[in-house]
Amino acid sequence: MLETINLTKKYEDGHLAVDHLSFKVEPGEIFCMFGANGAGKTTTINLFLNFIPPTEGTALIEGIDVTKEPLRSKDFVSFVSENVMLYGSFSAYQNLDYFTKLAGKRGLTKADYARALKSVGLQEDAFNTRSRNYSKGMRQKLGLAIAIIKDAPNILLDEPTSGLDPKSGQELLNLLVKMRDQGKSVFMSTHDIFRAKLIADRVGFMKKGRLVMLKTRKELEGEDLTELYIQYMEEREG
Amino acid sequence: MLKDIIKKEILETITSPKFVFTFLLCAVLILLSVYTGITTYRSEQKEYNAAVALNKKNLESQQSYQALAGLGPKINKPPHVLSTIASGVSEAVGRVASVNIAYDPNLVDSKYESNPVFSVFGALDLTFIVKIVLSLFAILFTYDAIVGEKERGTLKLTLSNRVPRDRLIMGKVVGGYISLLIPLIIPLILSMLILLVYPNVSLTGQDWGRLLLMFLMFFLYLSVFFTLGLLVSARTNKSSTSFLVLLFIWVVFVTIIPKVSVLAASQLNPIPSVHEITAKKDAFLQQVQGGAQKKVLDWVKENAPNAAKDQKKYQEDFKKFLEDYQNDLTSKIDENNAALERDYQARKTSQERLAINISRISPASALMFSTMSLARTGLDDHEQFLASIRAYKPSFTRWVNSRMMKSINFSTGEQGKVNLADMPLHKFEPESLSKSLARTLPDFGVMIVLIIIFFAGAYASFLKYDVR
Repeated sequence: MLETINLTKKYEDGHLAVDHLSFKVEPGEIFCMFGANGAGKTTTINLFLNFIPPTEGTALIEGIDVTKEPLRSKDFVSFVSENVMLYGSFSAYQNLDYFTKLAGKRGLTKADYARALKSVGLQEDAFNTRSRNYSKGMRQKLGLAIAIIKDAPNILLDEPTSGLDPKSGQELLNLLVKMRDQGKSVFMSTHDIFRAKLIADRVGFMKKGRLVMLKTRKELEGEDLTELYIQYMEEREG
Repeated sequence: MLKDIIKKEILETITSPKFVFTFLLCAVLILLSVYTGITTYRSEQKEYNAAVALNKKNLESQQSYQALAGLGPKINKPPHVLSTIASGVSEAVGRVASVNIAYDPNLVDSKYESNPVFSVFGALDLTFIVKIVLSLFAILFTYDAIVGEKERGTLKLTLSNRVPRDRLIMGKVVGGYISLLIPLIIPLILSMLILLVYPNVSLTGQDWGRLLLMFLMFFLYLSVFFTLGLLVSARTNKSSTSFLVLLFIWVVFVTIIPKVSVLAASQLNPIPSVHEITAKKDAFLQQVQGGAQKKVLDWVKENAPNAAKDQKKYQEDFKKFLEDYQNDLTSKIDENNAALERDYQARKTSQERLAINISRISPASALMFSTMSLARTGLDDHEQFLASIRAYKPSFTRWVNSRMMKSINFSTGEQGKVNLADMPLHKFEPESLSKSLARTLPDFGVMIVLIIIFFAGAYASFLKYDVR
């Protein structure tokens, strides 16, 4: 489970990136967070990963305060960034092997890696190719394979569908659904309303660091998410 | 985990095109430099042996002690086997000095004198390759070590796992350093093998000790630029910025500080020119020679009545007077010249020391000074050799004066044959390894202090590094 309680981040220059943010992502749930650029989505993920300290409030991963036990909390979370750039001179196997070992998993075989790579839809002939030759979609898939093989109960994704072609985007969403069905908590920051609508169990809108709307899939039934998004953004502007 | 990080660093580097390029270039340059160093050393050795033999022959062929006193022995500086690694100033300073009664000996006939074009380009020895080429490679290997991972996003991905930052930076340091040393160590081992098996090139136990210390200095020098690269990489947000900053620091360290230090020392501690000293010596010589004529005439005038009484005794007394007087004059000239030279050398040494100490803040200078001292191709070795020749001159002068006076037959004007059997020989005891090591300790100290500062800076910066 992922949780924030009054999570706040104010930078030294006075910019309030996250403002008293409180939400939960339950096991077996996909939570999609929308917001314009600079709304605080990526900052929230950075706070979960303890890349920056919060000014106030708490971020919890499986109930562990990430600022108090940053290393232990990372055992329970996987991260997929917007533009997965791995070690270009390494093949998919080598990248996977390295990050798997960093995640503390030992004794996995090449067959295990192959299974993970196949599960994200990476072509078998790419397994031994240097990742610098991969397309963005292939790199995203490899990033997801790293997250899958870590097998953490929580997944943080920072705009994972950005720049992907429709097929790759859809494949990625299918994988996230699969992960949710395995009982994982999935938090995804995105601009991709169309795709997110298909899989989100709950959506939140962020604006100027604040969570301005939170709706369940049920509450969204019959609603036009795009219109709702525009409406919320404009309302708060006023 | 540390092992995994180290392994990844090595693997990532050695599979990169920059490593292949670095390795090939290092291998070619290092092997070429050692090979040319060996061939140069061997030809210098041959030249030295030929010059020593020719000098002996020339001395033996002199018809009189007077001619021998004018010619004097030529002292050639033997080449040192470690000049194959660090040629130092050996090609810029003179290699041969004439010892005669007229002038103060000085080492002349440097390689650069005969081939000035070489002084423009300098020698391509191993020290040069490490100082210029490998230090640039150290920068090339580290400028993006941290900031590059940030740009690629791999730093975020790495630290989203249970990876302590201190372990990650340690892994980067160890793995990166091993990767950097591979292109150096393999050609170095091959070079040592060449030195071992090459005919007529033999290294003593002390030489091997000196060589190992030189290699240690190379590793420390590269560590300075390696840790500096990490520090700058951990203090910047763009790899292009990191590279430019490092390039600027490299230029300052390698070219600007050494040159500025010489200028600064000459301004802070000015010394008279060589011409001024020579003019002072000549003035004293003229003064003494002017007085000498009068003194001889006075003696002749005073003792003329005795010549009529006992011609033979008169001649003996005259010979004795001339020998004593000649020795006295030579001693006076030598003493005056030595005093002038001592003063000049002391001031020159003080200026050189100042320049050296100022430039030591640059690791490139510290590398040069230490390797030259260890290879015995530095200024100190040159000065010690010259001092040994100057110390030899009075004993030769005394000997040749004494033989010259004894061999002259004043009634016939004939001079006796030259016999070199008891001629004093020049001896030079090179500096011991322990003394050379003591001389290089400040350079080792500079390197270690810089490494500690840069590493501590990189370590502390990375612990607080903004990975976003």
